[in-house]
Amino acid sequence: MVKKFVLALALVAMTASPSLAKTIVFATDATWPPMEFVNADKQITGYAIEYMKAAAKEAGFTAEFKAVAWDGIFAGLASGKYNAICSSVSITPERKKTMDFSIPYFKVRQALVIPAKSTAKCIDDMKGKTLGAQISTTGHFAIKKAEGVKDKSYDEVGLAFEDLYNGRIDGVVCDDPVAAQYALQNEKYKGALKIACIIEAGDEYYGIAVKKGDKEDLDLINKGIEAVKKKGIDKQLLAKWIGGGK
Amino acid sequence: MTKQCNDPGEEGNTVIDVGEGAAIPKPSDKGLVSAWRISFAGALLTLGCLLYFKPDPYLKIFRFVPDGILITFQVTVYSIVLALIFGLITGLGRISRNKYINLIASTYVEVVRGVPLLVQLFYIYYALGRLVQVPDLLAAVISMSVCYGAYMGEVFRAGITAIPVGQTEAARSLGFTRAQTMYYVVLPQAWRTILPPVGNEFIALLKDTSLVSILGVADLLRRGREYASESFEYFETFTMVAVIYLIITLILSKLVSIMEERLSSHVKR
Repeated sequence: MVKKFVLALALVAMTASPSLAKTIVFATDATWPPMEFVNADKQITGYAIEYMKAAAKEAGFTAEFKAVAWDGIFAGLASGKYNAICSSVSITPERKKTMDFSIPYFKVRQALVIPAKSTAKCIDDMKGKTLGAQISTTGHFAIKKAEGVKDKSYDEVGLAFEDLYNGRIDGVVCDDPVAAQYALQNEKYKGALKIACIIEAGDEYYGIAVKKGDKEDLDLINKGIEAVKKKGIDKQLLAKWIGGGK
Repeated sequence: MTKQCNDPGEEGNTVIDVGEGAAIPKPSDKGLVSAWRISFAGALLTLGCLLYFKPDPYLKIFRFVPDGILITFQVTVYSIVLALIFGLITGLGRISRNKYINLIASTYVEVVRGVPLLVQLFYIYYALGRLVQVPDLLAAVISMSVCYGAYMGEVFRAGITAIPVGQTEAARSLGFTRAQTMYYVVLPQAWRTILPPVGNEFIALLKDTSLVSILGVADLLRRGREYASESFEYFETFTMVAVIYLIITLILSKLVSIMEERLSSHVKR
């Protein structure tokens, strides 16, 4: 018992020493390749994950990633279950009202993916058709804005692509790197799906979301992102995860 | 341990004497104050207050979800009807003297009971999507009724085997065929034992329809989730969704208890 107590004290003393870096816990919905996903070894990985790890190294904090379902990811941030969200969150005015964002780390647009056989040019040719997207993503919002199109929301974008592949829906709208991953690189879907167009809705930027007013974590994250951009690490990561296409 | 029973014909409660301790009172649905009434009035009052005093999020949510309520309702009704049919077939199969029918029915129950409903939903919709294209609503109804059909099959079997064998013997000796005995003598009596547990299954089924939102079926839960994750009003939205589910469930449980009363009215004095 005494031994245990001494050990515990030693542990406390170790973790309390100021030389150890601060840990920031990032929530991520790892179902969004190539940005963040779970690889064959059950590790959370991807462009954004490695980006944040590099940023953590530059700014001197420890980045810890926690797998959280997208639906409810913002509620968990508000209730303090984790410090930040690194999950391809597009910076929107609505979201800015309830959380704070870091400087952007990636630029995206919304892409429409359709079956390779389809002749549709873009979302205007989709009247009366059903388009799928992940629930409450900017892609889902884009479908809801389009006139005369039925929307269907999924918990994960992969389920939407599976339904598209099986012919239950007529298209999927999601961020363009994800669309490219599924329609151009994925072994299974490669020949069957194609990117029809980029939906004109202006550019979007991914940012790291933190709880409103959490300046301490935000400054650290921003410092890291700036360093990564300055050193050109982001270029290397782009080449590794997305290819030189962007 | 002594057990005393009054004549069922006599007025007054049956007293079960268990040595020491009070007699167990029968749950009463009579009188002005019953658990059902408290819950129902409470739910309606909560709904009314929320809509009246804080219309800003709550009325908006209430306007957003009605089509979801309709879908939940549809899935429930279709699934109940189908599950009853599956359940009756399975229940009769489980007590069939034909070895093969019995084996098939029993296997069906074992397999379905051994796979979580959520996995069944995924399986029928996504895995079988390779072979057959089932629309999402149909996939939902099929999985719900296949799953609950197995549960109800067990309930039916228990209800039927609870009828004293003398009834069957009497009917058979009067010249009824097996099918006639089942239809005219056994099932009408079995209904009374079967109905309360089946009513419970109905209510469980209604609540489990919330699982179909995983298929992208726009039921009440999914509509709520869509609203919540867009507006970030999680607390308000799910309070609303819970209250609406409660009201629907209470209405269903009332219907079940009315049916029970109808069926057992000629037994009670």
